[in-house]
Amino acid sequence: MEQVIQALISGILSGGIYALISVGLALIFGVVGLVNFAHGEFLMLSMYIAYWVYYFIKLEPYESLLINLVLMATVGYIVYKVIMTRVLEADHSMQMLLTLGLSMVLQNLALMLFKADYRNVRIDITTDVINIGFTNLSTARVLAFIVAIGASVALYLFLQKTYTGVAMKAVAQDGKAAKLMGINIKKIYGQAFIIGTMLVGLAGVLMSPMYSVFPTIGANFSTLAFIVVVLGGLSSIPGAIFGGILIGIVESMAGYLLGPAYQQAAYFLLFILVLIFKPSGIFGRE
Amino acid sequence: MTFLWTGLAASWNFYSGYCGRLSIGHAAFLGIGAYATALLYANYGISPWIGILVGGALSAIVALIIGGATLRLQGTFFVLSTIAFAKILETFAITAKGITGGSLGVLIPYTPGFLNMTWSGKLPYAIIAWAYMIIVIAACVKLEKSKLGYFLKAVGENKEAAENLGVNSSRTMLKAFLISAVFTSFGGSIMAMYVMYIEPSFVMSMGNSVQFILLAIAGGLGTAFGPLVGSFILVPVTNILRGSFPSISGLHGLLLGLILIVVLLYRTNGILPALREFVDNQRRRAKNDIKS
Repeated sequence: MEQVIQALISGILSGGIYALISVGLALIFGVVGLVNFAHGEFLMLSMYIAYWVYYFIKLEPYESLLINLVLMATVGYIVYKVIMTRVLEADHSMQMLLTLGLSMVLQNLALMLFKADYRNVRIDITTDVINIGFTNLSTARVLAFIVAIGASVALYLFLQKTYTGVAMKAVAQDGKAAKLMGINIKKIYGQAFIIGTMLVGLAGVLMSPMYSVFPTIGANFSTLAFIVVVLGGLSSIPGAIFGGILIGIVESMAGYLLGPAYQQAAYFLLFILVLIFKPSGIFGRE
Repeated sequence: MTFLWTGLAASWNFYSGYCGRLSIGHAAFLGIGAYATALLYANYGISPWIGILVGGALSAIVALIIGGATLRLQGTFFVLSTIAFAKILETFAITAKGITGGSLGVLIPYTPGFLNMTWSGKLPYAIIAWAYMIIVIAACVKLEKSKLGYFLKAVGENKEAAENLGVNSSRTMLKAFLISAVFTSFGGSIMAMYVMYIEPSFVMSMGNSVQFILLAIAGGLGTAFGPLVGSFILVPVTNILRGSFPSISGLHGLLLGLILIVVLLYRTNGILPALREFVDNQRRRAKNDIKS
């Protein structure tokens, strides 16, 4: 029983990170309408930034957060300006293929520059644990969970309370109407894309003390984030948060009950079932 | 290998190219074909010629189930479901060690002979791959002129409108998906016999699915000869790159990705339609010259 609870907690903690990666994707998908297969590669990029900053100037990932976010925002801006603006009107499959191409480029670029080695950031917090009575929790994971959920909720509040946020929601609902109301859609698209990229950058920072970084790390997270977003009801931010945690739990429980090899298969299966029986997502409205 | 890839890309094109519903999970069918042939032959000594057919039949069944289940899904959802489905099958191939040999893969015994579909030289394989390619392309040519092909295009362009005109969209899509899957499976069987060794990450990875798409798109999406053009340009180029700069891993992948981006950004139709346009323009110019 204790082990089940442990697996459950571990699942919830990873779920927080998944949620953070996914809200960025949900924002881009919801507002800009772009299906970004390179989202996972942005995560990889952020983790490499964290690693190299640590390697060269000994700044721990948490300390280099600001540098990381600024760099990620720049990457987001460039990608948006150079590539995405050209396909905003194109149909979804073209966009998907385009971002798939982008992910191939980023992945292979990383492979060329950094080789296929697994690189770790080993700092004090990597091995730190917090004792909560019956079990120990990794400090880095707890911290990552708290920050991830905090950031996701902050994004939600941003969309509810600020002018830009409400404008984003308006664009997400009906781009043409929003344009007629005097909202600069292009600007909103760009902002949403950059915020989404920065969120996944934050996720990269939080993950770097725990996970090794390697060129193909993004691929799994891209599909994972998509599944979370679809489960959560597409553009819904709270849906993405809960979806992330749900996937974390499913993954961890499947790993505990069936063996680690089935972790991925379990949530893919869940995903297919949801698609067939309730395509609007578990938390989506009909 | 170029022939084989052409055939595979054309198989993918058969469904996704013509009807515009992208499948990024076609490597699963490649895997089914490869595994069916390799396992039947390696474990039970059943001739690969029969294995190919068994793989095709298996793929057909799986395609019916998956295709049927995902019929209602549109755009993004369909794409994601194909990825999920391929991942599940890949996981199965890795974990079901008793059946598939797990991540170690299957080693195909080397006993040359026609019945064993094994030869010491490369020529017979090339002939088989060539025949395979011709068959798939011929099927695409035929598709373009057939009712199924028109229906498929109509459904891809506007499902509701096609249905109103009396097209049974489910039937059309399912049929094309099934044929495409079976062809892909045949390609998988041939690949397994040529390479003589298969493992999950080799035959079932998403990279393969992306490769089909890339070759078909670079050549010309939804055209019978597009995959041929795409493969004949890209496959040798990547092989040469791989051979000339073995120390720079990732170079060919980078190039393929860039090509994909460039094709999509500037020539959404691919190389073949662009060539056709170019030739047409030249002809028109020539005519004009004569007139003036």
